[in-house]
Amino acid sequence: MDDQEIFTKVQKCVADALGRDEDEVQMDKALQRDLEAESIDYLDITFQLEKVFGITIEKDELFPQKIFQDEAFVRDGVVTEQGLNFLKEKLPFADLADFHEDPKVTRVPDLFTVGLLCNYVKMKLSSA
Amino acid sequence: MRYVLIDRFLELERGERARAVKCVTRGEPFVGDAYPSALVLEALLQTGGVLARSGSGFKSMSVLGKVERATFPAEAHPGDKIELDVRATMSRPEGTLCEGVATVEGKIVGEAEFLIVFLPAELAPPPDPDVAEHRRNLMQALAIPLEEV
Repeated sequence: MDDQEIFTKVQKCVADALGRDEDEVQMDKALQRDLEAESIDYLDITFQLEKVFGITIEKDELFPQKIFQDEAFVRDGVVTEQGLNFLKEKLPFADLADFHEDPKVTRVPDLFTVGLLCNYVKMKLSSA
Repeated sequence: MRYVLIDRFLELERGERARAVKCVTRGEPFVGDAYPSALVLEALLQTGGVLARSGSGFKSMSVLGKVERATFPAEAHPGDKIELDVRATMSRPEGTLCEGVATVEGKIVGEAEFLIVFLPAELAPPPDPDVAEHRRNLMQALAIPLEEV
């Protein structure tokens, strides 16, 4: 499956789950900040992706619930180097380049974009 | 859950499918000439809630996550027996996606797709004793051991 096909399917999954028009769902859109996804929507998106792509998504694999449980990962509202390494390990499909420039913990939800979902699906499909 | 809208379970394939019955009477609150569609939906959701919990051996509490879609092509009326047929289309540790159909003598009065979510034990509200009793009676009819429910 090529990247465009993955995007088109992810776009529909997200649009259906969030009640959005498909053209609102673009690669750079963050699920929470731009598309106003709520906690329950993440589970809905997970179901949709499993159904559409025939993949199995383990609990906390795509949307980890508690990323920074270790105090060493965040200091004064900023993700530490240790935390960034943990994030890389936990979310190998996330593009952390931008985040690395300004690693405020409040920006973590912005990592979860439509593009991240596409990368995740691509990774899952290639490892299947 | 303030109102229990299931009178009897007909069948429960744990985590797969549940069939139940709701009989409409004019004596119920909010029932006029027609049974409110919202209550048809609620009856489907309650059936789906039991179905979802049955998949985990009734170990977790469940709440409605979201209704993906719901349609009500016809009305139910006092005297009707509404048959509720709910299937789990997908399940995960966090919840179950369900599709349900409500019929009266074969005519569809409600269809819905919805998401039931499991609550962590520490967030679950204390059970209402009346509802718990009703639930135990329903489960007993299905020969499900009471200690599970």
